[in-house]
Formats: sequence, C-alpha cells, structure tokens
Amino acid sequence: MPNKLITQENLKALVNELAASYDVFAPKRENENTVSFGKLQAFEEYVSGVLLTNTTAKDKVYLQSEQLFQYELKKDTVEFKEKAPGKEAVIFGGRPCDARGFDVIDKLFNWSGYEDGPYTGGRKNTTIITVSCEKPETTCFCTSFAGGSPADGKGSDILLTPVSGKFLAELLTERGEKLAAKYSKYFSEAGEAETAAKAEFAKAAEAKIAKKLDLAAIKKNLDASFDSFYWDTVHLPCVKCGACTYVCPTCYCFDITEKKFGYLNGERNRTWDSCMSEMFTKMAGGHNPRTDTKRRFRQRFMHKFRYHVDNFKEELCTGCGRCIRRCPVGIDIRKVVEDAK
Amino acid sequence: MSNIYIPHKARIASIKQETADIKSFQFELLDPEVRKNFKWKSGQFLILSVFGVGEATFTFANPQTRSEYVECSIKKTGLVTEALHDLEVGDIVAIRGPYGNWFPFEKFKGQNLLFVGGGIGIAAIRSPIEYSLDTRNDFKDITILYGGRSPLDICYFDKFDEWQGKKANLVLTADKGSEGWKHKVGFVPAVLKEMKPSRDNCTVITCGPPIMIKFVLKELTDLGFAPEQIVTTLEMKMKCGLGKCGRCNIQQLYVCKDGPVFDYAEIKKLPDEF
Ligand SMILES: Cc1cc2nc3c(=O)[nH]c(=O)nc-3n(C[C@H](O)[C@H](O)[C@H](O)COP(=O)(O)OP(=O)(O)OC[C@H]3O[C@@H](n4cnc5c(N)ncnc54)[C@H](O)[C@@H]3O)c2cc1C
Ligand code: SF4
Ligand code: SF4
Ligand code: FES
Repeated sequence: MPNKLITQENLKALVNELAASYDVFAPKRENENTVSFGKLQAFEEYVSGVLLTNTTAKDKVYLQSEQLFQYELKKDTVEFKEKAPGKEAVIFGGRPCDARGFDVIDKLFNWSGYEDGPYTGGRKNTTIITVSCEKPETTCFCTSFAGGSPADGKGSDILLTPVSGKFLAELLTERGEKLAAKYSKYFSEAGEAETAAKAEFAKAAEAKIAKKLDLAAIKKNLDASFDSFYWDTVHLPCVKCGACTYVCPTCYCFDITEKKFGYLNGERNRTWDSCMSEMFTKMAGGHNPRTDTKRRFRQRFMHKFRYHVDNFKEELCTGCGRCIRRCPVGIDIRKVVEDAK
Repeated sequence: MSNIYIPHKARIASIKQETADIKSFQFELLDPEVRKNFKWKSGQFLILSVFGVGEATFTFANPQTRSEYVECSIKKTGLVTEALHDLEVGDIVAIRGPYGNWFPFEKFKGQNLLFVGGGIGIAAIRSPIEYSLDTRNDFKDITILYGGRSPLDICYFDKFDEWQGKKANLVLTADKGSEGWKHKVGFVPAVLKEMKPSRDNCTVITCGPPIMIKFVLKELTDLGFAPEQIVTTLEMKMKCGLGKCGRCNIQQLYVCKDGPVFDYAEIKKLPDEF
C-alpha cells in the first residue's frame, strides 16, 4: 500500500472532521494529573506529548463493563434483546504498544472455535490511528517483542510517524485505506525520501529503549520455575491492588454477572476481572486453587510470558510499561520475569 | 457477528429430589430447531442461566443416547444453585453449550470398564455409565463403584435396577452405614482396594471430590494401573466455558476447552495447582 503524507494543519482538520461524524477517542486531559483516552470534541483537546496515558485505549473497544444482552421473562418463555451496535469510532493518537495490544487480544477473542461477537463487533467498528513514539519512556520495552518498535504498526489501521515537519501516514489495513480515501483531500503522496526518513526515525527511537528482554531465555526459565523458591519471596511487596491488570492493554480476563432490574427483567454483563483477586478462582464451597498471593502473582507472570506463548506463540504483553508505573510498590515486570529461575 | 453469550431458552420439565441437597432436573429446550440440533457427548458440560441470579456450570448427566431432555444433577452450594433449587416445573431457564471435550469411548472399545464415583461426582459418571450400557456390546465387564457420605447421600436409586439389568456390576458404599443398609460401609478408595480390580484390558473412569480422587489414584497405581488407563474430569471455576475469560487454566491448559476430561498421564504433568 502506498504511503501518504499529511501536514500538521491537515491532521488537525482531519481530526476535527472525524470528530463530527465518529466517536473519536484520543489522549485527553482528564484532570490536572491525568491524561486518558477521552472523547474528543475538537483537535485542541488532544494531548500529543503523552506516551503513557493513564489507562490504555483497550476500554474503548473492550468495555470495562458491557452488556451482553437483556432479558425479559414472559409467561412461558424469555425474550433476549441485544444492544444496538455502537457508533463507528476512531482511536486517535494511541501508541504502537496500545495498538499491538488489540492485535494480541483479537486472537484470543477469536480462538477456541468461537468468535466473540460482543468484542469483534466493536473492534470492526473502530479505526485505529496510531502515532509513533520519538522519545520512549524509561519503562518502555516494546522492542523486546517480535517486530515491536516505537514505530511499529501492528494492530493499527494507520500509523503516523513524524518526518520532516509532517507525518508519514502508513495505511496498514483496508480500514485504514478506506478512511484515507474518504478524506483524501487531506493527504498527499509520500515519496521515497519520507519513507526512508521513517526508517531512520524508527532506528533512532529503538536505540533509545533502555531494556530489551531475552524472551527465549525467559520462557525457558519460566518453563522450569513453577515450583521454584523464587515465587516464595518475589511477590511479598505486592498489595494485591490489581492496578497492574487494569492498566494493561493485553489483560483480558473477565467475569460474567447479572443485574436484575425487577422481578422479570435484567441484563447479563461482562466486566473486567483480575487474576490478582482472591475471588477469581474461588469455587463454590470455598475451594480455591490459588489461595495466596504467591500463586496469583506467579499466575500473572506465567500467563503473560509462558502459558500464552505456549498457546499463541507470542507474549501477552506489548512492553508498554504501564504496570511498572502504576504499581504502588514498584514491581517491575521486566525484572520479575528476567530473574525467574 | 455472533453473540456467543446468548443461551438457548429452556423450561424445567421435571425435578427429582435425590438427596437433601441434590436435585435432578430435566430441561426441555423450547425451540424445536435447537432441540433437534443440540447434541453432546458424555463428559461435556453446559452453562445454565437462572434469570435474576446468573450462570453456573454443570455436566450433562444423561448420555447422547438418551437425549430427549437435557438432564443435570445439581448440588446446592451457592447463589445460582440455591436459586435453581427454588425453581419449579415449568419455570424458564436457559442453556449454553455443549462445551469441552468428552470421554474417548472409541479408545475403550473391547475393554472392561470400571466407574468409580463419589458425592456429586456421580453426576459426571452417570452419562458415561449409561452410554456404555446403551452400547453394551462394545465393552466387556462393566463395574460401578459408587459411594456417598451416608446412605441418604446416594443418588439415582431409581436407576440401579436398570443398570444391573444391563449387566453392570454395581457396588455401593457409604462412609457411615445406617440401619437397613445392605451395602458396603467404608470410603471409596478402601472398598476399591478390597475389590482388587484387574488392570488387564481395563479403563477406569473416576469422578468425585478431590480427596477421593487422590486416594483412588493411589490405590489404582498400587494395583498396577498405568496412568493412561485412568480417566477423570477436572473442576475449575468457570465463567465463559469458551476459553476466553481466562479463569479455568491450569498452566497452559484451559479446563473448559482442553478438558474437562483428562487422563491421569496428562494430569501428572500438571503441577499441584488444583
Ligand atoms: C466442568 C464442570 C462440571 C460441573 N458439573 C456439576 C454437576 O453436574 N453438578 C453440580 O452440582 N455441580 C457441578 N459443577 C460445580 C458447579 O459448577 C458449581 O457448584 C456451581 O458453579 C456453583 O454455583 P453457585 O452460584 O451456586 O455458587 P457460588 O459460590 O455462589 O458461585 C458463584 C459463581 O462462581 C462460579 N463457580 C463457583 N464455583 C464453581 C465451580 N466449582 N465450578 C465452576 N464454576 C464455579 C459460577 O459461575 C457461579 O455462579 C461442575 C463444575 C465444572 C467446572
Ligand atoms: S504487562 Fe505491563 S508492560 Fe506488558 S502490556 Fe501489560 S501493562 Fe504493559
Ligand atoms: S500493581 Fe503491583 S501491588 Fe498491585 S497487584 Fe499488581 S503487582 Fe501487586
Ligand atoms: S471458563 Fe472461561 S476460559 Fe475457561
């Protein structure tokens, strides 16, 4: 697919025009200290300089709590009602690690022979326009993952990379092409020079990533360390708040619950859940295979860097580093998995 | 786009009180099309909706060879099961499934079968028992060892005559006997030891509380059974049944998708996490 160019001015006009007809979610100041993905009314609200929004863009597709259906009991039957599909959405200004998160959980929601309609419906309705990162944070480690880079387009429909005062726009999917075609007046053709400049940009940004994990070695160590004493102490600082799982672009575990409106009607909901919670695996009668923090803590890291790799041939992590920043006791996932033995 | 969380509508067709806290239910799927196409195999499970409360996971208690209704035997243990025990014939519920893998009967052909069940585990064993009785010629001796805490905790008294009539050797035991109890007294593993089943050409299917399973496995191993000869079902907390909610895993395996049926050789490879 040919690359395009878009100027700063045109980008602003494009986003404003998009905001008029779609739900556009972009990094937006929530309050003095917090930038999160919020609904954009105008380009001015977009906060362009923040790499790590408070939460990821994940919750714009995979809602923190969403209705699966409503029911109404009738005399001899029950009627189900599905919620109407949401408005078409654009996630603008997310980063490659956010977009890659979608690519990772897309596979989960499509595997095991079942396509998860409530998820894939929202996903197909959403165009993802990502911006490459010039100055990665100290906690970023996206280059550890196959193809991972501050300028990687996996999971994005359009990837914007700043080159020579403009943005190179790579149209990576059909959805991205369609959007660019619809708003073609804002785009011009990119030349070889700009494409080369993007490669330079990527190289420079990648060089700024402080840490690259040796994932093959980590997998090998995790394969052998389930019963290791390592897990007896490494979890001790953890206060089981679950923040790490809530800010993660790849954590996907959920609970299914019911909300009753009245005697005859109600709705079934799905809500994010966390493996760090004691209730996660607690069964009727009180039996719990993961009674203590040690077991739950081990599950989280094993799932991300071992079990998921067994099942999907890729890690359940994109290296965004949010869990490192959000953890109140400073647990660093890079260190936890690197030190495991 | 498919909403895999919308269940099939069903109606409670019958309820039978088995013990103080176990009831057997027959569910009739409302939609004739769905009823016709709804097929399962022994070992698989379903997820049942009790409206106003939520969903819970149960084994199909009846085999595919007797599939007029969907049958479950359900022990009252928490929110959903308690609400279900309060429902009446004619009440509306709903069912998703069938999910999970099944007992690999094609591998058991020509063999002796030994079923060992305890507590509510009998619900998971009834389906393969009746399946093997319905395809009786495929198997040699069929022996059933079933135990409960007391004689009052034994389910399926109404089925035993039929099982024995189809040449199953039935051994009942109660941890503690009572007056008039003509069967064995003692824990299932102890009775199993006494029975000394031969491992030759034999597959064991066992379900029950974890502690029973643990000692049954020990006795069978002492009797020379190979891990591959012993099949059981594992239980983990479930929500989706579809391999998505991330809850029922034991290492890389999802009990809802890769199980619930596993042989002991597979289980031995797993850590002591369940
Ligand atoms: C494959 C499989 C087959 C089963 N077959 C039977 C059966 O035939 N008969 C029977 O009586 N019981 C069976 N169980 C156990 C049964 O699922 C639980 O007793 C039931 O979910 C408890 O629900 P509750 O709402 O009453 O309990 P609560 O303690 O209120 O549980 C709340 C919710 O947690 C989940 N949950 C809790 N415990 C379990 C559990 N042990 N397994 C799965 N999910 C759980 C359910 O979604 C449940 O609604 C089976 C479990 C599994 C995994
Ligand atoms: S595990 Fe941590 S670093 Fe990895 S994707 Fe999740 S929040 Fe980001
Ligand atoms: S954020 Fe830190 S303290 Fe909280 S659950 Fe995760 S690892 Fe534990
Ligand atoms: S029950 Fe949801 S993954 Fe197994």
